[in-house]
Amino acid sequence: MDQTTAMYVAQGIHGLAYGMILFLVASGLNIIFGMMGILNLAHASFFMLSAYFCYQFLSMTGSFWASLLLAPVATAVFGILLERFLLRRVHGLGHMAELILTVGVSLVILAGVKIFWGTESLPVKIPSFLSGLVPIAGMDYPVYRLFIIAMALLVLAMMALLLYKTRLGKIVRAAVSDADMVNALGINMPLVFMLVFGVGTWLAGVAGVAIAPILMVFPGLADQVGMDAFVVVVTGGLGSLSGAFMVSIIFGLLSSYGVQFVSSLAPVLMFAFMAVVLAIKPTGFFGERE
Amino acid sequence: MTGRVLKWILWTALAAVLAFYPKLFGLYYTNLFVTFAIFALFSVSFNLLLGYTGLLSFGHAMFFGVGGYGTALALKHIQGLSLLPAVLIGSLSAILLGLILCPLVVRVSGTAFAMLHLAFGELMHVLALKLRGITGGEDGIGGFPIPRFSIPGIVSIDIKPPENFYYFAICLLGASLWMIWFLTKTPFGQIQVGVRDNAKRIDYLGFKVPQTKAVVYVVAAAFAGVAGSVYALFQNLISSESLNVFKSFAPITMTMIGGVGSFFGPILGAAIIQVIEELTSRLTEQVELVVGLILILVIVFVPMGCVGLVRSLKQKWIAHSAPSAHLEKAS
Repeated sequence: MDQTTAMYVAQGIHGLAYGMILFLVASGLNIIFGMMGILNLAHASFFMLSAYFCYQFLSMTGSFWASLLLAPVATAVFGILLERFLLRRVHGLGHMAELILTVGVSLVILAGVKIFWGTESLPVKIPSFLSGLVPIAGMDYPVYRLFIIAMALLVLAMMALLLYKTRLGKIVRAAVSDADMVNALGINMPLVFMLVFGVGTWLAGVAGVAIAPILMVFPGLADQVGMDAFVVVVTGGLGSLSGAFMVSIIFGLLSSYGVQFVSSLAPVLMFAFMAVVLAIKPTGFFGERE
Repeated sequence: MTGRVLKWILWTALAAVLAFYPKLFGLYYTNLFVTFAIFALFSVSFNLLLGYTGLLSFGHAMFFGVGGYGTALALKHIQGLSLLPAVLIGSLSAILLGLILCPLVVRVSGTAFAMLHLAFGELMHVLALKLRGITGGEDGIGGFPIPRFSIPGIVSIDIKPPENFYYFAICLLGASLWMIWFLTKTPFGQIQVGVRDNAKRIDYLGFKVPQTKAVVYVVAAAFAGVAGSVYALFQNLISSESLNVFKSFAPITMTMIGGVGSFFGPILGAAIIQVIEELTSRLTEQVELVVGLILILVIVFVPMGCVGLVRSLKQKWIAHSAPSAHLEKAS
């Protein structure tokens, strides 16, 4: 296979991996939004927090797998605390208050991260068999990117099983259409909300660990990836998982090929795409509510 | 009658204090006051959207920044441009941006409106960084000539001395604030509040909801542009920092602290934030932490801000006066 095709394929893999990470973040946002109507602007900060936790656990235990398991869980605990002690208190005040509250939380997380870990970029080492290249069908693929894609698909499959095959999933799906009614039927909705919020932040946490070895860990991580994730959610349609999946992949590829062909304008491409979609359909691709 | 007299006395006292402020407090606090006044106008223009029309924008800084860039570019490239047209150009460029965006944004509301602005604000920020040839990238545009404030045949003042700039800024920003105040008192201002409270009913009454939103949006953009323009003149520098997301959060914080939906709330909030920033920057560098904590505490404990707090306390103590009349504007 010649050089040019190999480059295109490699860029494609990079794009897909980034798209998958975006999707993990965006699906967490979407689950929380679909269920509770809250757009969690601190979501990207949880994503960053998890990357820092990963760095911390890695330097403490030395095992990437342990950090991969522990960091998202630790992040989810913070998410649950946020829901239980802050968001629940302001729920009656409407969406504006919730949005602004989450902005406040994201600022506090950003400041906290800077206090504890400083502002430098911290490297995260991956196990040796995940780094390097693997030859498949005459071409070399970066193993870690393939690993990210596989992991994201696994998480996605788990979420689908949870949503469609378990009792909890049934409750969640019912609550998306009418939370008050489910509450009236004797289900402890505040508890379900708390769990869903935890799962959402856990997803952000998984994405945070996945991206840590690629981009390194630094305080601007939340802005860089978080903004992309918000754009994905809005473009795909708030509360729509399939929309988020489609747009994540498109954006991942747009960003990797964009860097290659129009490098100075790459960050603008996404916003331009979003503007075009929203000009045609203000609720995004698959969105029904605002 | 006495209330009216009292009001006049208060306004005269305020004008007197403002007139002698530079003499009383010296150079440092004069400059601080100019910053406060710029952010007060910025927040009030933001509150026109959030408080009066119910539209939360996470990207209001783009009008602020574009206003600043408009003025700076005009002064840099047009020889012999005088001061007021330069400010006007800044405001017009913000209006132009508002006009471009409004067909898109008036169709959405709530969360989508907020997110759309977060994205557009970030887009403007990225553009300002990338279009190095026009905007100067990270360095921004600095050192452009600042013309004299002159009305031909009447006055010609050099506004470079801080004291003169203070009077220029106060007059311009005060006039802008008065214009916004006037707008909220017109029948159009009432329709605005109606759109916030019940857009459907306003529609049934025969008023055009999207067009109303568009007009408010452009007006808010225009005055944010004025604020940004004065900011650029004040610093003699405009950089991409004026477009970033923290600049968009500033008016949100100020409005929430002061009291959303009340006209003077954002001004009070701007003053409070200015004092807090002044105090904390002496003690710590963690301004983000302080702002974040303030936002959380305000939302959890005093969601209506200081003005709302005063109002509810008033109602508790003076239970006889009609309670709902005051809350009409604020919710």
